[in-house]
Amino acid sequence: MSSMKNKRFNLLLIAVVTLVALWSLWPTWRDYSFSRQLSSLSSQQDSLNYTLSHRNEIEDARQKSLKLGLDLKGGMHLVMEVDQVDLFSEKAWNRDARFDSLMAAVAQEARTSDADVVDLLTAAFKKDNIRLSRYFYDIRNTDSEIQGKLRNEAGDALVRAREIIRNRIDQYGVAEPMITTQGNRKIIIELPGVSDENRMRNLLKGTAKLEFRLLREPDALIRTLDRINSAMAAGTIAAASTGKQSISPLYDLVSVSPGGSAVIDARNRDLVSALLRDAAVRDLLPPDSEMLISARPETGNDALSYHDLYLVKKTPELTGGVITEAKATFGSQGVQPEVLMSMNSEGTSKWARITGANIGKRVAIVLDGAVYSAPVVQSKIPNGNSVINGIQSLEEAKDLEIVLKAGALPAPVRIIEERTVGPSLGADYIRAGFQSMIWGFSAVVIFMIIYYRTAGLAADTALVLNVLIVLSVLAGFNASLSLPGIAGIVLTMGMAVDANVLIYERIREEIADGRTVTAAVTQGYDRAFSSILDSHVTTLAAAFLLYTYGIGPIQGFAVTLMIGTAASLFTSIVVTREIFQFLLSRNKMTAKSFG
Amino acid sequence: MRIFNSTSINFLRYRKIAYGVSLAILLAGFVSLAVKGLNYGIDFRGGSEVVIRFEKDVPVGEVRSVLRDAGVSGTLKQYGLDRSFLLSTVFSGETNDLKLLITSALNARMKDAPHEIVRIDAVGPSIASDLKWSAVKAMVAALLAILLYVGIRFELKFAAAGVVAIFHDVLIVLGLFSLLGGVFDVMPLEMDQSIIAAFLTIAGYSITDTVVVYDRIRERIRNQKPSEYERIFNESMNQTLSRTIITSGTTLLTVFVLFLFAGPAIRGFAFAVFAGILIGTYSSIFVAAPLVFDWLRLSKTPVRLRGSSKS
Repeated sequence: MSSMKNKRFNLLLIAVVTLVALWSLWPTWRDYSFSRQLSSLSSQQDSLNYTLSHRNEIEDARQKSLKLGLDLKGGMHLVMEVDQVDLFSEKAWNRDARFDSLMAAVAQEARTSDADVVDLLTAAFKKDNIRLSRYFYDIRNTDSEIQGKLRNEAGDALVRAREIIRNRIDQYGVAEPMITTQGNRKIIIELPGVSDENRMRNLLKGTAKLEFRLLREPDALIRTLDRINSAMAAGTIAAASTGKQSISPLYDLVSVSPGGSAVIDARNRDLVSALLRDAAVRDLLPPDSEMLISARPETGNDALSYHDLYLVKKTPELTGGVITEAKATFGSQGVQPEVLMSMNSEGTSKWARITGANIGKRVAIVLDGAVYSAPVVQSKIPNGNSVINGIQSLEEAKDLEIVLKAGALPAPVRIIEERTVGPSLGADYIRAGFQSMIWGFSAVVIFMIIYYRTAGLAADTALVLNVLIVLSVLAGFNASLSLPGIAGIVLTMGMAVDANVLIYERIREEIADGRTVTAAVTQGYDRAFSSILDSHVTTLAAAFLLYTYGIGPIQGFAVTLMIGTAASLFTSIVVTREIFQFLLSRNKMTAKSFG
Repeated sequence: MRIFNSTSINFLRYRKIAYGVSLAILLAGFVSLAVKGLNYGIDFRGGSEVVIRFEKDVPVGEVRSVLRDAGVSGTLKQYGLDRSFLLSTVFSGETNDLKLLITSALNARMKDAPHEIVRIDAVGPSIASDLKWSAVKAMVAALLAILLYVGIRFELKFAAAGVVAIFHDVLIVLGLFSLLGGVFDVMPLEMDQSIIAAFLTIAGYSITDTVVVYDRIRERIRNQKPSEYERIFNESMNQTLSRTIITSGTTLLTVFVLFLFAGPAIRGFAFAVFAGILIGTYSSIFVAAPLVFDWLRLSKTPVRLRGSSKS
């Protein structure tokens, strides 16, 4: 081990590792000093000039610097799930009540377990002795062929959903978002430093399914409401009730104006929409019809808020797939925000035909099942333009613009996990993490010096290098540092010196047995190696498994623990040994050097 | 400096007492697990947690009643940060509605104490079941991996006793979590992902101390008569006592620092690792090595050893 050549190699290795670590952390240092520099400049003009003149360097440093995790910087971690049950239901043909009840059961199961939806579906169909081909694809397909097709469908939907969500986030403007898929229905979204989380959630949540649907005639609406009302009064519908017995239960919730339009009090909106979801109510509607509620309430003459109730055709005349461009603006009076849309050529010709054939009728503009407006068609629209009004704020108009541009999701997505940390708590975490690092480091360093003197100092030098290596690997691989990650570093500090403790104790024994210091050092390193290796391997194995099975925040801990443990094999053994060799060669080591 | 220099404690003589103590603690833990169970965090049971921080001190009762009147279900507790409360409630993918409900209620009824929602965690039931399985799989895989590795490095009796010691350490900490769960406001000791991380860390670290003792025994037991075993075991443990204690000591130092400074999010983890390392140090001396000794005594065959550490 101590031949000349070997020694050279070790020294070279230490030098290279140290330099690479420093080089990898250099941009982080630059980034830090730039921000210090900027905050020291007093006037805005000065800092703007400074930023402009150093723009490339600042950008470069920021890109390569050590990133802080979401919990330290503040931000959102979201897991969204593509609703595969909905996706498959859309794909099915000749759906009937039996199919619907089966799918509802599957949906219930899928919500509470992590099992594959295709498997759940197959199991549910098997239990009822129904072949998948009765509802899916081709009657000649076997079950396993259909399973494969459904799986492909799900995979495609997931990829499309990811792209659309990425589009929305990019349009909104988030710095460095991370969007990945996991398994066959999950999308994981990391959004650092989002200030307006409410808006972000709304932006991600909607399917953005835009439809143009014809309204049914006013008298059809009135007849339908009457039918529902009498059914409710007869007690055949046990759904929503205002809590009092009445001869016209529906008209306690819905008021009809002579013009044939129906409105509901905003406070009863949830009641009514629950009522409209009731299968018994749906059976009372005219064929190919659907009852929808307006997206936004309007203030009536009596200062109360009302939602409109519409009866529309179920089959849309046109869907949002034809939209090529959307733009949020203010309307003609300059007060009402609206979104202008233009269509591709296919959409333009269809739109012209639809509007030409339905002059004087009303077309509802429906987004995700809510009616934004239902303007009367004045004339044929030849240029493929259309407008969404009924929007409350410019911000909402902007978000509509974003989701319309990004396109509709293939199936609804739901937020199934969220971890959001506000920036103020993030600052607290940074302080806490920094304090633990400083105190942990100091405690270990001081203890080692007191207990082992010179040798302790060597171990401390190695420890500094160890922490440098962990941080530089994180920076170099573009990983981020989170609070659990910091905990991993602090824990590693305590574990890294353990190797030195084992070696030094052995050396003390050898010296006590009367060996020379040089011989004792050699013996100590050789003899302690086996237990050091064992302890490192077991810790590495545990950390690796934690990384493999861990999710989100815990992985940060596993990563720093792994890097730190692996680095400690090098720093605690090779580095300290080289320090001793150097000191021994200058006759600077005595038996006292090991405390 | 030296702390444990040339001790000559007869560890093996106390092993029966140690077995008894260990079994008693384990049993207490099991009883508590059976009766009281564990205090699961939202990672494993699903649900939403919201941390609300006020600008000044407000009584928890007031916040509680304001939220209850607003129709927010769930429990409200002091959180381990200054002027902060933790609201745990059922899972809602519609965090916006939950936030709106909380914010409007607090703004309306507690105008003089401005608040900020600093953290939201919401975990849906499917994710929770996924996390639960991941945790179980990780634990099982870790124990198998360590068993395999120690089995390769040491002979069977040593490896098996080492793994028994790991189980001993992890199960005692688990029992502690059940016994003390929810007792302290500063650390509710909920079972969540970070505690699984703690268990795996304990499992990995538990073997460290054990191996140090084993290594010495293995080195000295070569070509010795079984009648000498007791002396060798005791001497080995005394010779390695200092390093066993110091290695644990340095790690305990850093974990203690984490407990003090790293904030409420890390506190449960730090507590678990701290307890685990303490118990692990004890078990390497009083459980792992004595078990090997008893096994050797009962099987009456001299050890055949692998993995010489003589170089």
